[in-house]
Amino acid sequence: MRLKDMSSSKWVGIALYIGSMLLLMEWVLPLGQVTDTGGTHLFIIYIVFCFVISLIQLPMWIAPFIKLAGLMFLLNYIFYEPSFFSLAWLGELLVDLQLSTQALLGQSWIELTPVFRTLLFLILLWMMSYLLYYWFVVVKRPFSFVLLTFVYVTALDTFTLYDGNVAIVRVFIFSVLILILANLNRIVDQEKIKVPSSRTMAKWIAPMAIVVFISAAIGFAAPKFEPQWPDPVSFIQAAGQNGFGSGEGSGGVNRVGYGEHDDRLGGGFIMDDTTVFYATATSPRYWKVETKDEYTGHGWVRSDEGTPTTNESGHFPHISDYGESVERNETEAELQFIEPGHLNKIPYLYGTETVGTTVDGVSFYYNHTTGELASIINEEQDLVEEGYSLEAGRPDFPRNEMREVSVEYEESEEMPDRYLQLPDDLPERVSNLAEEIVSDVDENRYDYARAIESYFEDSGFEYATSDVAIPSDDEDYVDQFLFDTQRGYCDNYSTSMVVMLRSLDIPARWAKGFTGGERAFQQDVFPGEGSNVFEVQNNNAHSWVEVYFPEVGWVPFEPTVGFDNQANFSTGESIDDILDGDTNEDDPLEAPENDDQSDLDDLLDEGNESEEDGAVGSGGQDSNFNLLHLFAITIGTLLTIWLIYMYRSKIVASWKNQKLKRKPSAKTITNSYQFILKLLEREGYQFQSGETLREYAYNVDRMLGNKQMTELTQYYERFVYREEDLISEVDQFYQTWRQLTKQILSK
Amino acid sequence: MNQQMTGQQTKVNELIENIERVMVGKRDAIELTIVALLAQGHVLLEDVPGVGKTMLVRALAKSVDLQFSRIQFTPDLLPSDVTGVSIYNQKEMKFEFQPGPIMGNIVLADEINRTSPKTQSALLESMEEKHITVDGVTMRLNDPFFVLATQNPIEYEGTYPLPEAQLDRFLLKLKMGYPVKQEEITMLDRTANVHPIDTLTPVMTRGELLEKQNEVRDVHVSDSVKKYIVEIVSNTRKNPLIQLGASPRASIALMKAAQAYAYIHGRDYTVPDDVKYMAPHVLSHRLLLTSEAKFEGKTDKQVLEDLIKKTMIPIERGS
Repeated sequence: MRLKDMSSSKWVGIALYIGSMLLLMEWVLPLGQVTDTGGTHLFIIYIVFCFVISLIQLPMWIAPFIKLAGLMFLLNYIFYEPSFFSLAWLGELLVDLQLSTQALLGQSWIELTPVFRTLLFLILLWMMSYLLYYWFVVVKRPFSFVLLTFVYVTALDTFTLYDGNVAIVRVFIFSVLILILANLNRIVDQEKIKVPSSRTMAKWIAPMAIVVFISAAIGFAAPKFEPQWPDPVSFIQAAGQNGFGSGEGSGGVNRVGYGEHDDRLGGGFIMDDTTVFYATATSPRYWKVETKDEYTGHGWVRSDEGTPTTNESGHFPHISDYGESVERNETEAELQFIEPGHLNKIPYLYGTETVGTTVDGVSFYYNHTTGELASIINEEQDLVEEGYSLEAGRPDFPRNEMREVSVEYEESEEMPDRYLQLPDDLPERVSNLAEEIVSDVDENRYDYARAIESYFEDSGFEYATSDVAIPSDDEDYVDQFLFDTQRGYCDNYSTSMVVMLRSLDIPARWAKGFTGGERAFQQDVFPGEGSNVFEVQNNNAHSWVEVYFPEVGWVPFEPTVGFDNQANFSTGESIDDILDGDTNEDDPLEAPENDDQSDLDDLLDEGNESEEDGAVGSGGQDSNFNLLHLFAITIGTLLTIWLIYMYRSKIVASWKNQKLKRKPSAKTITNSYQFILKLLEREGYQFQSGETLREYAYNVDRMLGNKQMTELTQYYERFVYREEDLISEVDQFYQTWRQLTKQILSK
Repeated sequence: MNQQMTGQQTKVNELIENIERVMVGKRDAIELTIVALLAQGHVLLEDVPGVGKTMLVRALAKSVDLQFSRIQFTPDLLPSDVTGVSIYNQKEMKFEFQPGPIMGNIVLADEINRTSPKTQSALLESMEEKHITVDGVTMRLNDPFFVLATQNPIEYEGTYPLPEAQLDRFLLKLKMGYPVKQEEITMLDRTANVHPIDTLTPVMTRGELLEKQNEVRDVHVSDSVKKYIVEIVSNTRKNPLIQLGASPRASIALMKAAQAYAYIHGRDYTVPDDVKYMAPHVLSHRLLLTSEAKFEGKTDKQVLEDLIKKTMIPIERGS
């Protein structure tokens, strides 16, 4: 089509299509803020690309290839180092797809790689470019999409931190213009007006556009009523102030995050993807902040605040006073806080020995009793903006030695008995359960701990962050979780494990901190660190268990369903055995992480990434994956529903067609005829009250300009009023019916 | 069956066309008259003199080769003037029955509301029962027997309006109405030389007519159509504008009329359209509107049309 030849309605079509593109962008724009989708601008570029290709109206056989090529180029640009034309990356892509396909078939959604997810998202955008073309230009029915866009933007503005003030104005302007154009186009079509010239069209559109802009401007500038109800976001944020797992006894829903108060646990919480800090590390490891020792029946308090040791060097060898049998792997990490919120302590890795910062005049303190590490600036406990560096010897806990430790606590362990404390009114069935769990297990502390750790997963406990019960004053938090609800998040699991261990006389304590976070590809905090930077969000706030083993030290355990124990346990045997062993028994993807010699380094990096996503995502803590996923699913579902709705008549028609053809019966004949009546009604041929079929058919035929409805009605009349069975003539009936259906549907 | 039906339709069409040669532009009235004839009912014609009532009946009688008779009702007409009278024959020394005009096949009862109720009921009873009793002797009326009674709507003075129960005996009430100008001119043309009625030849025999009357009875009425008939009739009893609704006899009449109407349109089954078309003709003279309705200026026909419009038409089997 040459531009010169295009009529004004074509121009309107193009304008509509561009409008639809702008609306689609409004869908993608908030993703960067609401989810952790990086590089929304790349998606926007792809949208524009697809729309431009569609607009140019290339031949059917070439346009999809160009769009596909664009997609591949973008994938290459985001994920792969080799240039697009080297084609070397294609192999990696294939392996990626293969892994993801396997994960898909195995329904382990969490193992889908970022490449695959991005690919799917791009394909979605690609498809949207077709669909919007159809909705806006071909059928000229943009209203549903416009409405959906409004709902989407307003919902995001109301319930998330996304600020839609400007977006809603943009959407308003685009939408009203789109609706005006679409309506104009439809009127021209329907009323068979001679297609006006572009100049006339412009004359028509210009005043409307001016009205829209002026009203939008006035609306934007005009004073507005305050909201009639409190902003849910601030409510959510206020709830989040109490921090994850604090609850304050008030119940209700909190926002996930690190908090100080754990004396009243329970209740659901809302995801919060605010970044707490970025950290460099080679792999995601738990970040410990503190431990608590006294269980009250409702939460955790400290029985002993301990005495901190202060020094300026930041060297605290006793942070990790592991026994000699614990092998250590030197590692370093750097921390940079973004929005620490209520966190004023330094999260550290297991095995940390030294903490440092580039800022002068900062001293550090470490409290061995509470496990807290903090920096002191001007005699105040505070965090420095410049960040911290950590030196740690990552411990490999010797499993064999740990197995030799007797179950029960012995005096010789010299461990304060506060780590065996239990409330007096702890229901007996809790300890009974603990004994039952370990009844078939080798009698040693390690295997007992392992048995209780895996009990929750094996017994079908459910990980949930909403609808989590809060025990009443006379209920025990652990008892309620173990026996009544069996549903909860890390606090429930970790507290329950500690309590059960203590009931078996095993010293244990409750540890708090963060999970390892997620690889941050898009960040400028640690330039040059590549993919070894992890972003830790409020969502990553976590609690777990530490069990004491004499000669070894405090060993972390992870009872929460959906999370893996990040600690390494060595048997003193070959590394393969370790990998096959307990550490990663649930996760075959972990294996490549340790296999540094692999040829597929890059690929494996991706593998780790997805594995990390998995560990955290399955626990529901990772909003990035879930929201993106949810977004895609929602769009997909909405599209499907919309498509089914749009084509419902055709779908039902072909279904009835088949039925009538295969099983002609009184019922199918009646249904088929009445289906036609319904179709016609939808097309605006209303059946008047007191109108006979004959009269109706006559009127319909007059409108459609043929005699088919009368013909069909004659058959049907004979069927109903003459009570003939018609089966012998059903072919003729069917032929007429089919032609008529086609004719109506094509209108 | 269908082919046969088409044959019948042709025959009926011939009949209609034959009558139309005399009656210009009155196809509806002709068709309705034939419906009544085929349904073995009678017609009440309410119209002014001179619009062709007699001509219609005569043309019909001539086209089917039937005996035509006419009774002009007057206030002093006696029942025996209708039914016939036994006269003493001195030669034979016995009473001889002199048949009245009612012994014809097609009877035009002109201005029926001018005569006394006694005479009216003599006619109406014989219409219903198809026989008369004179001097203790019962005599069957001719077969076919078809009465077309007229009543004058404007001349109410000195008339005896027919009671509702009597009106019920007529299958249809219809109005001829004046012809439109062009039709009237055509009529003048045709009657310029010889009156066309004189040139009319029969197109159907009496036997054929009787056969058709039998066939009409066999026209299929499905349950749904029956239900529709009853629905309409029972709605007349519920309508607030109607003081006295139609009787069950009206339901039967409506069904018969619908059957005959379907028949003349070449169908051996009735459709709601037949019922819908016939209902105002069959029911309008069987209703008594409330004074409110009359005060509002509503006619029987309007009330009925509204009512029919509101009645659901069955479009499924057995519904």
